[in-house]
Amino acid sequence: MPDNKNIVLAERSISTDSFADHYLANEQLLNLIESTNTGLWERNIITNEAWWSPKFCELLGYEYGELKRSYDFFIDWLVHPDDRELVYNAFKNHLKGRSVYKVEFRILTKNKGYCWFESSGKAWPDENGNLSKMIGAVTDIDLKKRYELELRKKEFLLTETNKIANIGGWELDTLTMELSWSREVFELSGLPLSTRLNLETAIRLFEPAYREVILAAVNQAIEHCVPFDLELQLCTLYGKVIWIRTKGIPIIDDKGRCIIIRGIFQDINENKAKELNLLRSLDLLSDQNKRLQNFAHIVSHNLRSHSGNLQFMVNIFDEDISADDRKEIFGNIRSISESLSNTIDHLNEIVKIQTEINKELKPVNFAVTLKNTQNALDNNIVATKAIICADFSLCPTINYVPAYLESIFLNLLTNSLKYRHPRRAPKIICETYMDDGHPYLTFQDNGLGIDLNKYGDKVFGMYKTFHKNANSKGIGLFITRNQVESLGGSIKVESTVNVGTKFTIKLV
Amino acid sequence: MNLVTPVKTVCVIDDDKIHVYGLKKLISIKKLSPNLIDFPNGKEAIDFLAAPENSAKLPDIIFLDINMPVMDGWDFMEHYVKIKPQMGKKIIVYMVSSSINDEDILRAKAIADISDYIIKPVSPEKLIELFALAA
Repeated sequence: MPDNKNIVLAERSISTDSFADHYLANEQLLNLIESTNTGLWERNIITNEAWWSPKFCELLGYEYGELKRSYDFFIDWLVHPDDRELVYNAFKNHLKGRSVYKVEFRILTKNKGYCWFESSGKAWPDENGNLSKMIGAVTDIDLKKRYELELRKKEFLLTETNKIANIGGWELDTLTMELSWSREVFELSGLPLSTRLNLETAIRLFEPAYREVILAAVNQAIEHCVPFDLELQLCTLYGKVIWIRTKGIPIIDDKGRCIIIRGIFQDINENKAKELNLLRSLDLLSDQNKRLQNFAHIVSHNLRSHSGNLQFMVNIFDEDISADDRKEIFGNIRSISESLSNTIDHLNEIVKIQTEINKELKPVNFAVTLKNTQNALDNNIVATKAIICADFSLCPTINYVPAYLESIFLNLLTNSLKYRHPRRAPKIICETYMDDGHPYLTFQDNGLGIDLNKYGDKVFGMYKTFHKNANSKGIGLFITRNQVESLGGSIKVESTVNVGTKFTIKLV
Repeated sequence: MNLVTPVKTVCVIDDDKIHVYGLKKLISIKKLSPNLIDFPNGKEAIDFLAAPENSAKLPDIIFLDINMPVMDGWDFMEHYVKIKPQMGKKIIVYMVSSSINDEDILRAKAIADISDYIIKPVSPEKLIELFALAA
């Protein structure tokens, strides 16, 4: 801002002032114009000599005649440097007859620094038809302009904020059911700005599973004034499914009715994807943690039972006993040692499954695997007169660890033969199918069955046996479960005592 | 050393043959009881206890394992409570298991008819103490 003191002000000399005489002669008209807070000016386009009316001077904080009567002085000293080009161009364009002269720009006032003014004017021809002078008026628009700029700044800030946060606004008039959206919501949904909106169009944007949810929330808001905050999936016009969050707040009139629902619409796709990923990892982790804990428990329990027996035998050995007893006890110690070694082998097998998770998957044919299993158990199958029916047509092969699939078949088939019903030959039905993109294997027999009400959670536990059967070890299904789960699958069982058992395995 | 009055009949319900053998041997060495009957699971024990013809042979102490096939220790207790009134004899039940799981211990303590929970193996001193309590 130039220093006001440096401005050389014109001498007040009314006698030689032709402009002034002209205007001051029409004092009444001048007063009338200036009473509307409008200052007048006139400029000689050729000499750039200028006249500033009393009101003009007053608006800028000067006395009449205090301002140098030169247009060059005005442009160079009073117009804000950033606005000079604007003023100059407006003037130039006007002279070329292209546009009306009307500009908003900043002028340096005497005491208040730069203030906003609107200046409009018109060039007039002299008697020869040349454009020689320009007459105009200025009004103080400072307050209006500052509000306008403030508003624009806030709007910019809001738009920017919304853009950064991916937030848009919406409003539903519950009486007319008219829906309006901010620009961001249109951008988010991909609908053109010209789309005529109603609740139905908006709801149809959501994935079918969420339409009821949002409709119910809107109805709750209208009928019971309940606000909502939902995370839903929406299908944009470009066919992309994204997660959005929408909040709705009912606006209530003095009769307690909801007249408007106002809300926001936010693109949370990225965060939601991360959240879901995190949840999946958490599931996987807690799953593995559970298995690990379970395993630790199994190890401690199963080793404890052997070490307990060993200690028991040693304690008795210390007592005053006969030579025969000692021999017997030693026999027991030998058998404990064998059991211990078996248990450790079994535990090793489980550890191997856990560490072999990254084992290479290969395409495995179900029919071939079953055939191999049948060959291995041929003696048993013949002896029990078992009938095995298989249908793998819906899913003939799978990418799996071949040894696991063999082990699964072997364990299930062995169980079906071992726990066959005494009064009928075993009949085993084995099938595969696909559901929701996952391959499933079912294995059904007509054997003894297991009372699941009693043993439900223990069926797949280690060393859990349910039948009075000398060769029950309680290890087969435990290993099967571990193999299935290590590859991300799951196994469940349905059974009725004396009717049969059906295992359903989700393989991957 | 052994001043305990012998208990007439002891019953062991356990599928672990070595544990049954050990208890039997220890009881006989310590002369704690002249009669010992054993069952490999809860079902066979209940069948025996419920049969009226066995009323004269009912045990004074039962050592009950938890994990057994067919009918485990918990199931046995459920059935035991039902047949208890018809047996007409006070029987002390000790639960004996290698499980150090709090869940099992608390569950056993919550059952009024179980006098104590003993973690395997049972030491000779502990066994004598248990018989002393029962006498």
